[in-house]
Amino acid sequence: MSHSSPSRGRRASESDETGVDPGRIRVGVGELAVATDGETLTTSGLGSCVAVGLVDRDAEVHGLLHAMLPSEDDARSAAARPAKYVDAGIATLIERLRRSGASGDRLEARIAGGAEMLDLTDAVGPRNVERAEESLAAAGVPIVASDVGDGVGRTVQLRADGGLVVRAADGFERTL
Amino acid sequence: MRVDVRALGACNRLSERGAKQAADALSELTGTDLAVEVTGASVASGEDLAEAFAGRESIGVSVGLRGGLEGEAVLAFDADNVDALLSLLPGGQSMGHSAVSEVGNIALGGFLDGWANYLGTAIDMTPPRYFEADGAAVLPDGALAGDGVFLFESRLDATTTDLDFSIYMLPDSGQFRDLIVGKTAAAAAPGTEAAAAGGSDGDVGGPAVPYESLSTFASLAKRGSANAADNIAMMTGLETTVDVSRLRFVPLADVPAEVGVEPHAGTVFELQGKPSGYLAILFEESSAATIAEAMLPMEPDEPLGDMAENALCELGNVMTSGFIDGWANVLGTSIAHSPPEFVHDIGSATISPLVAKLSQRQDYGFVIDAAIRTEGVEARCDVYALPDERELADALAQLSEP
Repeated sequence: MSHSSPSRGRRASESDETGVDPGRIRVGVGELAVATDGETLTTSGLGSCVAVGLVDRDAEVHGLLHAMLPSEDDARSAAARPAKYVDAGIATLIERLRRSGASGDRLEARIAGGAEMLDLTDAVGPRNVERAEESLAAAGVPIVASDVGDGVGRTVQLRADGGLVVRAADGFERTL
Repeated sequence: MRVDVRALGACNRLSERGAKQAADALSELTGTDLAVEVTGASVASGEDLAEAFAGRESIGVSVGLRGGLEGEAVLAFDADNVDALLSLLPGGQSMGHSAVSEVGNIALGGFLDGWANYLGTAIDMTPPRYFEADGAAVLPDGALAGDGVFLFESRLDATTTDLDFSIYMLPDSGQFRDLIVGKTAAAAAPGTEAAAAGGSDGDVGGPAVPYESLSTFASLAKRGSANAADNIAMMTGLETTVDVSRLRFVPLADVPAEVGVEPHAGTVFELQGKPSGYLAILFEESSAATIAEAMLPMEPDEPLGDMAENALCELGNVMTSGFIDGWANVLGTSIAHSPPEFVHDIGSATISPLVAKLSQRQDYGFVIDAAIRTEGVEARCDVYALPDERELADALAQLSEP
């Protein structure tokens, strides 16, 4: 077998359909995904990272972002992976939701994460949350519920109805 | 001869892309969804690899590589997963070896496509050879001989069944060196494929290290672990060994997935000096409790309560001093560390702030797989060494200057 070198299009740097169960899409760190067929979007091990779940229930479209850093401005590399950053990730997610039929006016947001896991790192969790609130406000998307801060890791699932199920490391679970 | 650290990054991204193609090819063949879980490049000595693979049984296929890249690539399944694999394949159990060979051929073909694309050259595969192997015999020929071999490893995960497998590729080092050095030159020219794949920052003239120093990475881990073991023995009076299987070079964004969602306990340190960065020593909960109990004069009231926390902090302290003293010796620099910060939470959540912090400047980190054995008690831990890659590259480069 021979492997030559056709110039193929490179994939987008955020892979948005990793690890799929039937009806479940896993979203990794610095990734985002949009679902239109009622799938549940899951992301695990949120520490200082922030998860932003957006839904347009009328259009039955929802999307989840797992961002690591507040702003693209903090990085030396520009826009290589927008989902790594809260601000660029939210903008990209809204755009992707729109392209999948969502209306910006109907979107609502739920956010989780942004914990202060360590004293060693300068409050990256709270800064992530703050940036998420600013970016969503600027985009005119209301935050209807949030579970952020504290010093606890979280795992989240965004259901098709927009409900964000947040499970903390100690097993405590609540739905936003 | 200098290698841009980002060339290693490019290789890593490439094995990731190759692994994704392998996963796609297999998903199609089996009708099962497969995801690339972890991809990493590692540098390890033959001796370390032999230890790391001891006791594992594997089946799989190997192919020889000719043309643009010479060497060997192997796709291996854990022998325990063979039945699950066969049940997914067209023809099922009756197909046996030929089914495994076919899967291997398709997946390795996908994997090598990614590399051929990047290198802009054709890579020919010899026909697949089926094998059943004990321990490190699964690795490509020659992996055990060198004292600092590059190994590219990808793990794929089937979400519905137990079908993890690994791909190991051992490129011929002379030719591989020429390729990545060649790519480094290309990476310096913006707009080339290599620049796009290798450096996301477009910053020409990034950290470069002499090729010969790359195997120093392997010795960093080894040297550090010997010191760490000595320090634990001194502190506890218990004879202790810390075995390091290898040092892996992984994309930072993959580090949380690598730690996983199981609860972990351990300690995190900030490093100051050359290089600066972070170091985290993480144990799964049961290992953390075991090692803490071994260090305490009496059984603690609760497995991971205050007493265990103190013990793990102290353990972290001496291990970290051991590691960084070893590194500072090898690098001829000085490195200091902060007091330990205890962590006990979802594994990936504990490490994510460190990854976030370093991600502002770089895309890769190092993971040292280690096991601590202290008089009859064995606890596995992972040491996540997350140095500033520019500072590390500078230190390595200075080492080789006459």
